[in-house]
Amino acid sequence: MKTEPNIPDGDGFYEAWLDAHEGLDEKESGELDARLVLLLANQIGDQQVLLDCIAAARAARDPPASSS
Amino acid sequence: MSSPEIWKFAPAYELPSWPFVAPPDLASAEPIRYPVVIAGGGLAGLTLACDLALRGIRAVVLDDDDTVGVRGASSRGICYAQKSLEIFERLGIYERIRAKGITWSVGRTLSGDDEIYSFNLQDESCSEQPPFINLQQFYLEWYLVERILELCATDLRWKSRVLRVDNDDGHALVEVETPAGRYVLEADWFIDATGASSSIREQMGIESHPSRSTDRWCITDVRFKKPLPVERWTWIDAPFNEGRAVWQHFMADNVWRLDYQMDERADPQAISRPEVAGERLRAQLGPGVEFEFVWIGPYQYRDHLLETFRVGRVVFVGDSAHVVCPFGARGGNNGIQDAANLGWKLALVLRGEAGVDLVDSYHAERHPAAAENLRVTTRTTRFLAPRNAAERRIRTALVSLARRHEFARRLANTGRMAQANAYPPSRWLPEGGRSVQNVAVDGATLMRGLGESTRFVGFWVGAGAPEAAALGSALAGRFPLEIRAIEASTLLARHLGVASGSMALVRPDAYLAATIERPDAATVAEAMRRALSLEVAA
Repeated sequence: MKTEPNIPDGDGFYEAWLDAHEGLDEKESGELDARLVLLLANQIGDQQVLLDCIAAARAARDPPASSS
Repeated sequence: MSSPEIWKFAPAYELPSWPFVAPPDLASAEPIRYPVVIAGGGLAGLTLACDLALRGIRAVVLDDDDTVGVRGASSRGICYAQKSLEIFERLGIYERIRAKGITWSVGRTLSGDDEIYSFNLQDESCSEQPPFINLQQFYLEWYLVERILELCATDLRWKSRVLRVDNDDGHALVEVETPAGRYVLEADWFIDATGASSSIREQMGIESHPSRSTDRWCITDVRFKKPLPVERWTWIDAPFNEGRAVWQHFMADNVWRLDYQMDERADPQAISRPEVAGERLRAQLGPGVEFEFVWIGPYQYRDHLLETFRVGRVVFVGDSAHVVCPFGARGGNNGIQDAANLGWKLALVLRGEAGVDLVDSYHAERHPAAAENLRVTTRTTRFLAPRNAAERRIRTALVSLARRHEFARRLANTGRMAQANAYPPSRWLPEGGRSVQNVAVDGATLMRGLGESTRFVGFWVGAGAPEAAALGSALAGRFPLEIRAIEASTLLARHLGVASGSMALVRPDAYLAATIERPDAATVAEAMRRALSLEVAA
């Protein structure tokens, strides 16, 4: 799983993602994100990377471990 | 207002029954010893008895009933998978099953009125048997009983209930209750094939780790004249079932199995009343289609998996060992395949041609198979019955993508159809084992060849017949083994995936045991010793 920056135009991607949610209610937004995950997962196509991404997304609910 | 419909029922099936005959054990002062005693005359128990009969092992079968099926003609399993059909070809009942049953290979998954996924299992098949035949389970059990009676090599004991089983020194002690009294017998090997609610398992104190789903369904077996495709159709969210799932399958005697997912809070009595089931059918079939009910049965599925399939001289097969949800036909088929895995092993151990440890390979192979089936079917249930809002949202997202994009279609999971499970590497199978399909070979088929006697066959690809015969005679008498030369261009050689000059060692259950790159008397003997748990000669 890549964690260093890899998106050519990060701000542009972020904006396009926000725009896609415009005018949607919470349920519709949730479904949009779910569709997006499925489409992106198929682009990645690497089982271990997908599982690592799921684990990292879940782990980010918690505060990061202090690097002492 | 239209007049209310009148709901018709088909006449009940008339199933055969067989008489209780007082066994000699009732008059014997000492317990009589038998090589194999099987409790339970369902798919797994009968398949094992029939398999053993053909291998020359006389088994005793104890069944607490005197007929087939479960409490009358209520059909349970209906889909029989290719590997099971190949086993039945070897046992000699495949033609009856084919003639009576419904052959199919295409499945379709629908959302609303639209197809979102389809598969054709024939695409991956090179077997003489089709991917699936649908047949009411009691017919299959009926054919097995008749075949067992025809072979005259099994002691079928009806109205005989096992009360207690205890492991003793190298055998099991079994207490049996009959209409003429109780008796105790001894079994070198005792097989529990008494099904999901095995009281033997309970009595032995074996934990089954059960869990029960809240998902609720109602089967409606029904006969009507409206022509529908002979395919497996599954709706994720049928408009005619309040947006819940529906299954549509065809089986023998022009009976359709329609299985409806219900509200999980629904009252099972209420949803299975003929007028309620009739309304569902009317919504699906449309007005003017006459139909008659064959059977209506509400259910919730459950699962369990034993930690070990062998405890001393007691071996668990079929539903007594493992139960999974019904989606994908992984229940009955795996009981049948358990039996075919165990039969030849017991036969060779009892004949002294294999080490007693070979029986442990039954657990080493069938337990992972059952665990895989549990994993696969649990994934299906999470697709069909989302547990919370997040799971439902993800499914909704998937279905909307599946209407447009190929990649999402195959993620729609209304059941992954049973396949012959591959086995993990073990001391018996150094490279693991995979099933070999029943391909045509030398004017017959692999299964018919394997059915002739209990032996391995070493298919030596690209070898000459004299060369194969010489190696065969060098090993004759030491192992149950036949060496055969096959040409590299044959379908079997290509299916085995073995290079010219190498040998594929195929077990009596049509699993590939090993690939031997330089076959000679030493390398083949080593592979056979490993496969049969035989001590390495000094």
